[in-house]
Amino acid sequence: MKRLTPEQKTRIRRVLSHAVLIAMLAFVLVPYIMVVSASFRRGNFAPSSLLPDHVSLEHCKYVLGIPYEEVVNPATGETRIVKAETPPLLWFWNSIKVSSIASIGILLLSGTAAYAFARIHFKFRSLTLSSLLILQMFPMVLALVAIYVILDFMGQYVPGLGLNTQTGLIMVYLGGISGYIWMLKGYFDTIPASMEEAATIDGATQFQTFTQILLPMSLPIFAVVFILSFIAFMSEYPVASIVLQARDKWTLAVGANSFLAEHQKLWGRFAALAVLSGVPITVMFLLCQKFVVSGLTSGGAKE
Amino acid sequence: MNQGFPIRQILVALLAIPSLFVTFLVYQTGNAYIALALLAVVCLGVFVYLNPSANAFRYLFPGFLGFGIFVILPLVYTIYIGFTKYSSQNLLSFDRALALFRQETFAVEGAATFKYKLYSQDNGKYVVYIEDEKDATKRFASEPFDLQPAEKPKAQQEPIKLNPLPDGQEVEGTPMEMAQINRAKLMSPLKALRFSLPDETIVGLEGLTKFASRQRLWQTDADGKLVNKKDGTVIRPDFRQGFFVNDQGEKVGVGFRTFTGFDNYMRIFTDSRIRGPFFKIFLWTFAFSALSVFLTFSLGMLLSVLLEQPDIRFRRTYRTLFILPYAVPGVLSILILKGLFNQEFGAVNELLRGLFGFAPEWETNPWGARAMVLLVNLWLGYPYMMLICTGMLQSIPSSIYEASAIDGSNQRIDFFHLTLPLVLPAMIPILISSFAFNFNNFNLIFLLTGGGPQMVGGNAGETDLLVTYTFNIAFRDSGTNFGLASAIATLLFILVGFLAWINLRLTRKQVKI
Repeated sequence: MKRLTPEQKTRIRRVLSHAVLIAMLAFVLVPYIMVVSASFRRGNFAPSSLLPDHVSLEHCKYVLGIPYEEVVNPATGETRIVKAETPPLLWFWNSIKVSSIASIGILLLSGTAAYAFARIHFKFRSLTLSSLLILQMFPMVLALVAIYVILDFMGQYVPGLGLNTQTGLIMVYLGGISGYIWMLKGYFDTIPASMEEAATIDGATQFQTFTQILLPMSLPIFAVVFILSFIAFMSEYPVASIVLQARDKWTLAVGANSFLAEHQKLWGRFAALAVLSGVPITVMFLLCQKFVVSGLTSGGAKE
Repeated sequence: MNQGFPIRQILVALLAIPSLFVTFLVYQTGNAYIALALLAVVCLGVFVYLNPSANAFRYLFPGFLGFGIFVILPLVYTIYIGFTKYSSQNLLSFDRALALFRQETFAVEGAATFKYKLYSQDNGKYVVYIEDEKDATKRFASEPFDLQPAEKPKAQQEPIKLNPLPDGQEVEGTPMEMAQINRAKLMSPLKALRFSLPDETIVGLEGLTKFASRQRLWQTDADGKLVNKKDGTVIRPDFRQGFFVNDQGEKVGVGFRTFTGFDNYMRIFTDSRIRGPFFKIFLWTFAFSALSVFLTFSLGMLLSVLLEQPDIRFRRTYRTLFILPYAVPGVLSILILKGLFNQEFGAVNELLRGLFGFAPEWETNPWGARAMVLLVNLWLGYPYMMLICTGMLQSIPSSIYEASAIDGSNQRIDFFHLTLPLVLPAMIPILISSFAFNFNNFNLIFLLTGGGPQMVGGNAGETDLLVTYTFNIAFRDSGTNFGLASAIATLLFILVGFLAWINLRLTRKQVKI
């Protein structure tokens, strides 16, 4: 066999790399293409082809809450008007609302706590910090009985905070702060305290040094925490499914799964909902990619 | 900072006053201990924000409050439930179960009888008025109460109190004729109601026209036994079983919650119906998490190495497209893949059938389902590993590769002898937390397979993880068993908490170096 020159070797390597990457990309992209096609196809079958055979906007209309005509009996041409009672896109809006409010809450709670852990000395500081992380490992799904009881109790006294309310759900989400406290604290630790010390000498209070010096310097990490927690809440299913009972209060996760119930699987409607709500979120994520990557390498995890 | 205007004090007051009001409401409705705890929290809050020496806690208080209510409190409560018998059969507290026995009545012969009238009120409520047939001065009336037409009120309802009505005073509202009561379908709900006179006698509708006093069926003994006054049988509470039992040891009436110590834990390890699936599921959970970590890390590493080659084109485009499964909300991705892996109509099998004439049973075969779960998790999880590996690769100085190239190394040697040994130690905390995350990956299993297919001869599924198995014990099974589920949850927590602790130790060591 003839020995290859280094140039040939490089070329083979490059071609092979592209071949592997493109093959992998096919695996990654095909499911999404199929869902897009399923959302434009008439009928509610499981996605199975790249291009829809009968293009129809019925599922998109259904998801948007626009009435459309459906052929009930192909022989007689009998039709009926179909309109969703609760437009499924409302679930997407609910999810956006719940996730963004909860994420802002997470920012406030974990930001202030992380500041205390990073800058103020108090007893049992590192013990508290470790306990936070370990306690958070308790799977929330399995504490649902307790969460149910607590929300039920709160709802008896403060009507807006009980079961079947989105504010109640947001409150529950606000418990999950410890991972974010760690991320923020880690970032604060990398910022030298000298500027804050100088400001203190100039007469600034602690609160002022926090809000006017440390916070402006930490905006990137706050963006990361916001994005990561937002995405985590968008995908949260079990707690939302137990807390929210009324159809018009559901979040995207609960609503999307409801289309795929055991007895009646509505793939077309699910696909349309997935496309209409997945695309904006995905675009937002890709635009913020740079932030997310920097946050991940500093130690956050998506749940 | 305080320029004469007490902003902080006003803010504290604005938050404290409504909180105190709620605390008062809680106290008023009879939850004294909870009210006390709330009061303590409010006082602590006021102290933290007004006392200058507590400044660290000013920043910690809001976060700790949320964490305390929605993480620590549920955790403690769940651990507690793990030590109790608490299920659909043992649902009520002991006091409520006892009260139910105390409410059971029976008609006595020769009992006092009363004429009665039902008055309807303007606000849709009703008042019952009764008058002793032998002594017309003994007159009683209830407060207005709700009565739902054609619906039997729950048997557990407390008796409605009847208060003496002074002479000359009449009940407000419109008296209803018998026919009216019938027409409004109020007869059967009324018949199911019990009323109590001031001397604790229970009265109820007897026939259609009269009220008669009834006697309580069970009498409490000094030592906690209940004696049946009709037939003389004796029952006593069995706190081990959470039921009242008679002399023959048979359960009588409703069960109650009871503290049973380590019974639930013993059941996990001794009851063959639970032990069998439990250990099988434990093994699978372990294998699933380990394999998921290994597969996602391998693929993520491969992709990041390929994309880090200096002469690769379209790097940014590739990277953006490869991140997609991470960017799309996880729930949607899982459900999309569930559709693709549909055994009969899904795209995966359609393709395999077309290419190889073979269609794996992703839904009904245990190994097929396990393979699908792993494939889907690989698809969902590799972008995260790819991002992390990319970050690490970029932090390796290129000079060491240049040095090894001079020594005549090739790419395979570079990867296994330079890159991997450098990246792996730094990756260990990430791999451990990824393992812990997958150990409790509820969403994936619950939404993708629901645990299915069913295990032979058990109520668990072949792809169930411990977390979904436990969830099903608590919420889905025929006999929802919160006690047992909480005990398993506690074991799970100990396990995963231990992993987190090891992880902490490891990262701390690294930081020190």
